[in-house]
Amino acid sequence: MAVITTVQAINEALGLMMAEDQRVYCLGEDIGKMGGDFGVTRGLFDEFGGERVRDTPLSEAAIVGAAVGSAMVGMRPVAEIMFADFIGTCYDQIVNNAAKVHYMFDGQFKAPIVLRTACGGGFGGGPHHSQQVEGWFMNVPGLVIVAPASPYDAKGLMITSIEDDNPILFLEHKALYRQKGEVPEGKYTVPLRQAKVVRPGKDVTVVTCMKSVHDALAAAQELEADGVSVEVIDLRTLRPWDHQTVLESVARTGRAVVVNEAPKTGGLGADISAVISEEAFSYLKAPVARICGFDTPIPFSLPLEKLILPDKDRVKQGILKVLGK
Amino acid sequence: MPEISSDQYLALFRDMWRVRKFEQALEREFKRGKVPGMLHIGLGQEATLSAIAHTLRKEDGIFPDHRCHGLLFLKGTPGKQIMAELFGRATGICSGKGGSLHSADASVNNFGDNGVQGSYMVTALGVALGWKMQGKNSLAAVVVGDGTAGRGEWHESMNLASVWKAPVLFVCVNNGYAISTSVGASHATEDLVDFAKAYKIPAIQVDGNDILAAYQATQEAAAHIRAGKGPYFVEYKTWRWQGMFSGEFRPAEEVKYFKEEHEPITMAKADLHKKGIASLEQLDAIEKEVEAEIEGWVAYAQESPMPDPAKATANVYVGWEVESWQS
Repeated sequence: MAVITTVQAINEALGLMMAEDQRVYCLGEDIGKMGGDFGVTRGLFDEFGGERVRDTPLSEAAIVGAAVGSAMVGMRPVAEIMFADFIGTCYDQIVNNAAKVHYMFDGQFKAPIVLRTACGGGFGGGPHHSQQVEGWFMNVPGLVIVAPASPYDAKGLMITSIEDDNPILFLEHKALYRQKGEVPEGKYTVPLRQAKVVRPGKDVTVVTCMKSVHDALAAAQELEADGVSVEVIDLRTLRPWDHQTVLESVARTGRAVVVNEAPKTGGLGADISAVISEEAFSYLKAPVARICGFDTPIPFSLPLEKLILPDKDRVKQGILKVLGK
Repeated sequence: MPEISSDQYLALFRDMWRVRKFEQALEREFKRGKVPGMLHIGLGQEATLSAIAHTLRKEDGIFPDHRCHGLLFLKGTPGKQIMAELFGRATGICSGKGGSLHSADASVNNFGDNGVQGSYMVTALGVALGWKMQGKNSLAAVVVGDGTAGRGEWHESMNLASVWKAPVLFVCVNNGYAISTSVGASHATEDLVDFAKAYKIPAIQVDGNDILAAYQATQEAAAHIRAGKGPYFVEYKTWRWQGMFSGEFRPAEEVKYFKEEHEPITMAKADLHKKGIASLEQLDAIEKEVEAEIEGWVAYAQESPMPDPAKATANVYVGWEVESWQS
């Protein structure tokens, strides 16, 4: 099996789907000849041409709107918003159109779009190039949020997302773009709405996603030497997230740490913590702990940024806290 | 100007009356508390709607604006299903889930209005792009008011429609005011065609209360788009009867001019009579026939049941029920 980066894995998924299905096309800023800011669409322009790998101006509302409109008449657009931080400029299009056309017209239309965007901090991107945006969309019925943490899942989830009939916000963490992993050639799918236990354990459950999955795995590895057995769950789909896998795990371990890079208040971590408390309270041996980004914007200077974002050490602290250590 | 047959002229006239009677019945029922929510009516703008409806073909798309109830049935949906939708009933075209601002009918390529003014201009761009990529010769018409010229989507959609030569028919119903703010007070121009010209989109401004002028301008626009030449922009100068929520705020002489002297149905009626196309009695008979038709739709809506409660959670996602994953 080939060992490739997440960027290459997503690129393969796009190329496969475009070759297989004429309805699939890409649009976004500088995604054509240049191949996108991070190279995710590199080579697709040469292979499929400018009609299907469509450069746009800096018009995010039009990017999403054109995707939704064309999807309503049968196309399968994959739109790119260069940085997730820019998504406020097309928020209305996502929340009020993409996510609602199926419902408000009672099923007459659907909007099968994939909206790819690069998110996440840790590299000095500053307040407008570093954010995790899933929290901005947790309250949007009709929208699906997908967030891979490995090259294998990135490719499989992208293929599934393009084939799915719902509007999908596909979050690509910048810290994972150059990460390598084994990825099969050809087409395969990874199911939506199914979390994955990426490390089994019996003492505590860590529920997380994207870059923080790797922080959690590193923390679990270090704690193993101290005799602590940590189970790590990668959510993969953040909305609607997989309640069953999380609750079954917490029922076994009795302890839960929720790790999310976004600000702590009102986000994904809050929802997971609330559901565990509602549904698995009788299994809990300790209150749920949340290890999240601080409730601040993201500062530019690296030591300041490191301070506010969760990392391996803070995940370890959270695990030790729920263990009473 | 291309000739128009007597039958076509009479059909345009009849549909102006259908819009008028529909809106008047709707306003009456709204005031009786039978129509929930908010209501924006298109009285005074009947000629624009009739002109658009008689230009579009079934395979063309329409994005009607908030004062376009008339277009909803003129595009081909049975009027009783539109009325029932506005009453929030099970028999409505969207099962009562959309209402006045969200009535779509996929079977006639009506993509629905939008509660956020102008937001759907980029959706129309997408429909046009999709059809163009599929090799279809359909156009997507999007109806917008003058207030929409302030929205980013207005400018983003026009720019990209021009760049992509997308088959979008922009029809701007300029009735002079956003809710209370006049066009000139809040935009760099009172003539919204100026914006289209800046984006290198062919554009025409026409008297939207003159049915023949409005119809012919719209026809020319559609012919341009159907010839594969890209988007076109039509600005109808018109005036709405409905004042603000609290009442009339416009100068008395302006109200008098548009309601009495430059009123679209009165003008068309006089012209039809003058040209000897129909007698005044025949024209009055049309009004009565239309009234009976519309009142039949109102009765149907009122007699229709409320939606099944299961509809509240239906069609949130394609292929998944909400309950199955929410514990």
